Amino acid sequence: MSEKVFIIQSSPHFQDKDSVPKIMFTVIFALLPAVVASVYFFRLRAVGLYVSCLVACFATEAIFLWVRKKPFQSLWDGSVVITGLLLAMTLPPTLSLELAVIGSIVAVAIGKQVFGGLGHNIFNPALVGRAFLQTAFPVAMTTWLPPATLAVDTATYATPLGNLKFQEAVVQGTLTPIKQLFWGNSGGCIGETSAIALLLGALLLLTKKTIDWRIPAGILLALTAFTGIFWLAGPDKYASPAFHILAGGLLIGAFYMATDMVTSPIHPKGIWIYALGIGIMVGLVRLFGGFSEGVMYSILFMNTFVPLLNRTFRPRILGERRKIT
Amino acid sequence: MSLSARMILVLTLVGLISGGFLAAVATLTKERIALNVQAEIEEAIKEVVDDAAVNQVVHEEEDLLIYRELGEDGELVGFAVQATGVGFQDKITLMFGLDATLTEITGLTIIDQKETPGLGAKIEDWEAFLQFWENRDAAGHLALRKPPASTIDKLLPTEINTITAATISSKKVLGIVNLSLERVRELIKQGKMKPEEKDGN
Amino acid sequence: MATRSIKAEYLKGLWDENPVFRQLLGMCPTLAVTGTVVTGIAMGLATAFVLILSSIVVASIKKLIPAQVRIASYIVVIASFVTIADQVLKAYFYPISEALGPYVPLIVVNCIILGRQEAFSSKNSVGRSFIDALGMSSGFILALLVLSSIREILGAGTFLGYQVMGAWFKPWIIMILPAGAFITLGILLGIALLIESKTKRS
Repeated sequence: MSEKVFIIQSSPHFQDKDSVPKIMFTVIFALLPAVVASVYFFRLRAVGLYVSCLVACFATEAIFLWVRKKPFQSLWDGSVVITGLLLAMTLPPTLSLELAVIGSIVAVAIGKQVFGGLGHNIFNPALVGRAFLQTAFPVAMTTWLPPATLAVDTATYATPLGNLKFQEAVVQGTLTPIKQLFWGNSGGCIGETSAIALLLGALLLLTKKTIDWRIPAGILLALTAFTGIFWLAGPDKYASPAFHILAGGLLIGAFYMATDMVTSPIHPKGIWIYALGIGIMVGLVRLFGGFSEGVMYSILFMNTFVPLLNRTFRPRILGERRKIT
Repeated sequence: MSLSARMILVLTLVGLISGGFLAAVATLTKERIALNVQAEIEEAIKEVVDDAAVNQVVHEEEDLLIYRELGEDGELVGFAVQATGVGFQDKITLMFGLDATLTEITGLTIIDQKETPGLGAKIEDWEAFLQFWENRDAAGHLALRKPPASTIDKLLPTEINTITAATISSKKVLGIVNLSLERVRELIKQGKMKPEEKDGN
Repeated sequence: MATRSIKAEYLKGLWDENPVFRQLLGMCPTLAVTGTVVTGIAMGLATAFVLILSSIVVASIKKLIPAQVRIASYIVVIASFVTIADQVLKAYFYPISEALGPYVPLIVVNCIILGRQEAFSSKNSVGRSFIDALGMSSGFILALLVLSSIREILGAGTFLGYQVMGAWFKPWIIMILPAGAFITLGILLGIALLIESKTKRS
């Protein structure tokens, strides 16, 4: 038994002790504060969206694995749960549940399985589902409700960003206060309103090194710089960078969606370009685009560059010499 | 025959024969195509000015065409303004009617648009948009009402309903109408367009 | 060249060499005008008109044309028939012509048409070229019909303008937008490849 064996095996030779399920469940755990916050602010509507998205994502994944004759173990690695959770969190509270189910099916089927399952997809699956819903049902996807904690008596309600873009909130002085955005007491997609809850989870992801700090840092930096220039030039017309960071889906996008390992670059240089690109795109869309919010499209747009960035900036191969200059 | 001579001959022949055929088809269809275009304009005028029977062009520019509308008995029943402007996707050509005294918009219809299907393209939709254009005040600037009111009675005479999720297209149409109204007022000032006198002189 | 039966010459355009699903030609009209079934079929018929007549003409004059100027000659022939189709549509089917917009003149650059002249009509008899063009046209119309049916039913809840989905149905606006065309075509191509690989294997 103690005979020496010469083991020949192919790479990878070094393996991290992290596994796919471990990473995924860390992310799920980090999302929990925001999930709790969304249920607090939007009550049963949030619960309904979570249940329908999770069940539909799970079922779609199972059907695809069965049709493709793939092992069912990937059903339990937690990636489907993240897709379902993130999709539900980026839906407006008024959305009817059958539309949430359609979005979930598209997210898993077209966003992930068509490409070959986990690890092969180009785009963040949850965002694919959301982009589909946004384009398929634009009215339903932009009908908002005030949170249950806010006593506002209106039939229709605008998000802080919608208010900024379409009601000239800065000029009118009706901009949603930063404090309200920080705690989450404002309108929007169910999981994106509470900045504090999202930041709590983000802290866990950063300390555990589950996500690369450069991605959120780059996005926040670029957006701050972009919106900051306009704010300094015309504070009576433009909202402050702090408002732009806390409002809408920026935090959930920067910490939980752009950081998806499959759809973000590997090399630090590529990561910086990717992250700064997202931040600038968000600024461009929010300030000059036709939509009030641009996080989803910015991330999807920069996702398309990931294969190119990975080809341009390759990590140094183990044993390879550094470039002598 | 050398090759190049044959090449020139064949291409010339193909071109000539095709040209001949096309000329024949063009003569056969020209009249009908012109009639179709005219029928579309006349149809549009009837939609925005009631009882219009005779159209007289009173002003013609590339993006603004104004007709004076006479009824069956030759009396002035209103004006029809055809205007073109930039929409969300491409140019929008629309037609709106003015009453004989030039104080009220009597209706709006869209002649040509390439807005997003299902969204901006609703500017052609009677229920969603066009019904809110009847009897609007033509004296000043019209404004958008957002969020939209459920019925036209709930709007001010100077207000137009926005289409939900198609604010930009609604705004573009309103912009074209507002600009055209300004130009109409300018033309009245210059004496090029004469409204009917209210006391019947 | 092995001679095929007339029936096989026609049938190959429907599936084995279907211009859209198998050759991936003519993608521009396939994606652009299949938002409704009416425009889809109208585009298919207009293309069929141009393809069939061009094939007959090219096959009959193929011996007269020097090889160096053949493409130029084919294009002149095709462009003539496209212009005729455009004028006739404008004169007699004005609303459809309006709905198809610039895509009727764009039939000139539809690769299916030039492709068939170069690959088939310039080498085969008039009769065979006619059958081939007929088959390809049928295949093209079939593809547009499938694509536009899916897009109109899901995107507007209607088929040929008649309501087919109940009041509960919320139209998927994305399906009548360009994005829906790409998604639907992608899925249909995937299904076509799947069927192909299944039949080849067995």
